[in-house]
Amino acid sequence: MSAYFISILTEGAIFGIMALGLNVIWGWSGDFDLAYYGYVAVGAYMTLLLTIGPPTAPAHYILGLQLPYPLAVVIAVITAMAVGLVVGLIALRHLRGIYFSIVTLGAVYVIYVVAGQYVPLVDGYNGLSGLFDPMGDWFGLDYQSYQYFLMGLCLVMFALVFILMWRISGSRFGMALRTLREDERAAAAFGRDIYRLKLKGYVLGAALAGFAGALFAAYLSAFNPSAWSPVGEVIALYAAVLVGGRGNIRGVVLGVLIMGLLVQESTRFLSMLPGVGQFNTQHPQILLALRGALIGLVLVLFLRFRPQGLLPERRFVDRQPVGEAAPAST
Amino acid sequence: MNEALLTLGFAMVTASILALSAVAFTLQYAVTNVANVSHGEILTAGAYAAYLVHQRTGSAIAAAIAAALAGGLAALAMHSVVIGPFIRFGASPTIVFIATLGMSFVIQNVLVIFFGASNVAYSLDPGPPQHLGPFLLTPLDVEIIASAIAITFVLYLIISRTKFGKALRAVSQNRELARVTGINATRVAAATFFLAGLIAGYAGFVLAESVGSFNPYFGFGFFLITLTAAVAGGLGRAFGTMVGAVMVGIILEFAGGYVSASYNLAFAFAILAIVILVRPRGLFTSARRTVFE
Repeated sequence: MSAYFISILTEGAIFGIMALGLNVIWGWSGDFDLAYYGYVAVGAYMTLLLTIGPPTAPAHYILGLQLPYPLAVVIAVITAMAVGLVVGLIALRHLRGIYFSIVTLGAVYVIYVVAGQYVPLVDGYNGLSGLFDPMGDWFGLDYQSYQYFLMGLCLVMFALVFILMWRISGSRFGMALRTLREDERAAAAFGRDIYRLKLKGYVLGAALAGFAGALFAAYLSAFNPSAWSPVGEVIALYAAVLVGGRGNIRGVVLGVLIMGLLVQESTRFLSMLPGVGQFNTQHPQILLALRGALIGLVLVLFLRFRPQGLLPERRFVDRQPVGEAAPAST
Repeated sequence: MNEALLTLGFAMVTASILALSAVAFTLQYAVTNVANVSHGEILTAGAYAAYLVHQRTGSAIAAAIAAALAGGLAALAMHSVVIGPFIRFGASPTIVFIATLGMSFVIQNVLVIFFGASNVAYSLDPGPPQHLGPFLLTPLDVEIIASAIAITFVLYLIISRTKFGKALRAVSQNRELARVTGINATRVAAATFFLAGLIAGYAGFVLAESVGSFNPYFGFGFFLITLTAAVAGGLGRAFGTMVGAVMVGIILEFAGGYVSASYNLAFAFAILAIVILVRPRGLFTSARRTVFE
């Protein structure tokens, strides 16, 4: 396996966990949450803060506890959940539709600005680094075999998350979340506590985001404000969920595969075109920009022409609708 | 006290630009009932057009006209290619919100492909700062404030005195009813987008001037502040939006002056979150929604 292939699979598995978490919030609960990538960032920052050593001048950051990686991941997930809970408590109380989206957009910008500007927290624009091959020395792995180990770890975690989501999808909780998406008033009339349910779904999504962020930190071994943007990343995630099929977890996985391949291969192909490849070495941001434009375009086109995605969610139909069940009166 | 007055002077410049951008955004909202998240890119288009024309002709007035026209055409294109078709297709406001967010991302990246992601330095000679009453303003600042007031006045006349303005108000209050009475709602909406685009494109030019540089992401950053002003004033209400813009401009300038300008976006969103939670329909709401009252 080439290094390229390993990195694609590792990134793909992490991206898949993010997409499955986003699917809980957008696919099932039905809220267009723009703060989502903020929880990924919280997970990644927190993992680094807990595993790397204390800061040496001129760096400034909190913690630096050198905890073992698995423990750090657990705490990072809990932190992401806590941040998600705070945002959810504010944003889900009364707000729906674009007002919810606007407030969550605000929340992610607050996270981004504080992480980037308030230096004592996570060293501002420099960010954190120094998480090298976590758990590698437990198994005595060298650099090469560690790449396989991390890929395997991410794929196994992705599979576990998928199975968990599969169970939740058909559970009472999963069904109840979908009811809220379809008709909140009807759900309330049936005695559902809407706020509580939505909040549970939101925090579950934030937990998966934080978890993906923790894995991402191990993969990148560093995290800083230039590694993420508040809106750009989340658009790619939304595109994947939408293309595959909002609400259908198999669809979400398909979407991640398609977007991954589309983005990787098309931009690779473009760089091989005469002229463009040479241009790319001069302006490395061009290829990234082409990628971004492509993702945005796919999002808009799917919203317009196939909003249900390639693998639409199965609709539950009432086999015996009330009107027909009643005896015909002639 | 003196320092506070100086800050207030700068705040008036910020508020003028913000008012232009926010009133353009709110006009688009008024006729379609959807938020155009790619509004910021109209300002960016205006800034690039102004820069390119200014380089060729060396005339600031030509640059301003080019900025307005580029903004108008960009907004018209957004309406006819994305927003209009989505509305006809029956998409919910949230779907249009997502689609325009996607568009904004596309436009930013296309601009990076053509112009690169780095900052373009662009500023007019602001002239020597002068004392105007208690304020210390450059002639350029005065021109920005005066032009914002003039544009707002003309816009007020268009909306309140012309036939088009009447149609605009009708469409904004009830699109279906307006259609039944023989108004071509799609055309009125397209014309409103063009008008809003002219204003926003010009706002992009003035913003680039006052900041001194711009890049493909510059409009989106300002859009976030615009959104705060528009929501604070009440979405779709031009007068409220302008008051909201002045308030947000002043708050941001004082917060920036006394704390740190790098937290501006965070401050803007703190205001936004509070307004949305406390008065979701804007600070100055009455039962009836009109564009101007």
